[in-house]
Amino acid sequence: MFNPLDHKGLALDQQLRDWRELNVEPIDPEAVDPYTRCRIITMNGIEAEAIMFSHQFARVCPDNDVKRQLAYTRFVESQQQRAVNWLLPGLASVLETTLGYEQVAVDLTAWVARHEPDPYLKQAYEFGVLEDFDHLYRYANLYEMVERRKAEKIVNGVTEVMPGRPTVAEFRHPFDNVNDPYDKDAVDPRSKLHALTILSAEQQVMVYYMNTGPQYMEPIARQLYQEISLIEQEHVTHYESLVDPGETWWERLVTHEYNECWLYWSFMEQETDPRIKAIWELHLQMELAHLQQAADLLRRHDGREPEQIVGDTGLPEPLKFEPNKEYLRHLLATQIDLTKLGAGYVREAHERFEEMQEKIHGGQQPPSEAVIDAHREMFGDEYRLETEGPHPVESLRARQGSRRA
Amino acid sequence: MPEPATADTARPRGRDVDVVDLLLTQHARIEEQFLLVIGASGAARREAFEDLVRLLAVHETAEEELVHPLSRTIADSDAIIDDRLEEERQAKETLDALLDADVDSEGFETSLLLLRTAVLTHARQEERYEFPRLRAGIPAERLIALAPAVRAAEAAAPTRPHPGVESAKANLVAGPALAVVDRARDLIREAARRTRS
Repeated sequence: MFNPLDHKGLALDQQLRDWRELNVEPIDPEAVDPYTRCRIITMNGIEAEAIMFSHQFARVCPDNDVKRQLAYTRFVESQQQRAVNWLLPGLASVLETTLGYEQVAVDLTAWVARHEPDPYLKQAYEFGVLEDFDHLYRYANLYEMVERRKAEKIVNGVTEVMPGRPTVAEFRHPFDNVNDPYDKDAVDPRSKLHALTILSAEQQVMVYYMNTGPQYMEPIARQLYQEISLIEQEHVTHYESLVDPGETWWERLVTHEYNECWLYWSFMEQETDPRIKAIWELHLQMELAHLQQAADLLRRHDGREPEQIVGDTGLPEPLKFEPNKEYLRHLLATQIDLTKLGAGYVREAHERFEEMQEKIHGGQQPPSEAVIDAHREMFGDEYRLETEGPHPVESLRARQGSRRA
Repeated sequence: MPEPATADTARPRGRDVDVVDLLLTQHARIEEQFLLVIGASGAARREAFEDLVRLLAVHETAEEELVHPLSRTIADSDAIIDDRLEEERQAKETLDALLDADVDSEGFETSLLLLRTAVLTHARQEERYEFPRLRAGIPAERLIALAPAVRAAEAAAPTRPHPGVESAKANLVAGPALAVVDRARDLIREAARRTRS
């Protein structure tokens, strides 16, 4: 496999872009491959994490030489983030981008769950993906109410839209969102990349919802964004607690850069749009140089080799956006009623869960339920896109509507 | 079951449906209709295109006669509305060029995609800058009162021919939709006069 540690990449002093280079042509929302949109959204989340991580690092770093190096790379990463996120078109609405975010959360997390070698970590992804799957369904109903468009315009049939673990049941006591971390010295390096990738994606979703939600005038839209953004915050806790807190800042920097190499390389391999592929290729070349810099810092300050952190066998198999319909249906059929108790998973609604549910819902219907009722009232049915037959969980099957057969 | 070759936009129901609801639904319907035209060829494409022309005509008339004038009654809205009218004028020019073209020619498809971008951008501009101001600045009952006129115009220019209007359909092949579109326009203008007086 391709080993990024063997490559120098694009020299750091050649990585600054001018306005012309930053002025990227956005994708055509009416013609784009839905998974091209997913790759853009994913890399935006990854670059946003790169920037915020670097800022946090700089705040605890006493060495001004290192701080200057971090500042330079961080500026380059900021330009990478702008170039990537500005591929999204102004023509798309906030809700359309939201549907893209949830499609990412579903198909990215499902792929990671399928490829995660550690059973405890795998369970964490399988658990989380059913919740984002439900968010896609709630937002799809909001989308048809507010914009009259159908979510299949965005997901394009590669991802199904139907209830997952109902959002109402996703509110757990915050204590129960804290998982046990992997052991950095024993875990498969792939697991480090998986955890960082998913936590970055979820963090971006949280930040996006908590900031764009109040732009809506429709009360139900404002309320739904508020509710789901709180679940996304739970997810950030859920995933970040999987990461070993004993990793040094130098070590974490190496993992970040290595992960960015893995993802740009993966997406370059898979990209259908040649113009976008060229961006992934350029960014891979940039990341290779960032990785070299991080590896040098690790050697100098930690006295370790990067191979001790990410292994010496090169990148794992490329991460792919692809349909996960069958896998998701299997998870729906087997794990819909799971919840958390401490760092583990249980089926019963335990006391702390019930207490939290009572406090947050207070006997009222949450927005995620209200949006479905409002949709039924407005159109006579709810919005679903079930391409592979009825819902695998009988109690979550659609009541017959009047509009769609 | 909806026929596969027709759009399936959800229609809002109930007494609270206002003119903005209907225009939003038309935006979604127009978006879908563009896809149907692009995906078809020959006679089917001609038919889908004629449906699109009717949809656009009814829609733009409703906006120009009913909605934009209402928007102008809200303070500081003139500039926004002037921009929208300019977009509509440009879209009509592109549409005029398409009316006489062979639907299977390469030029048709290129112009159609240009028209789509222009129309969808225009629709988004309205959704972002005009409709929210309307709902914030105009009493709900006035917006609800305008809905029947838009519904009547839609009914007068149906996008799928009703049984018994085959002769009207035959006319459309020569000049798309003009008679029905005129009737729809008249209905909207009448309603506009009533609201003004």
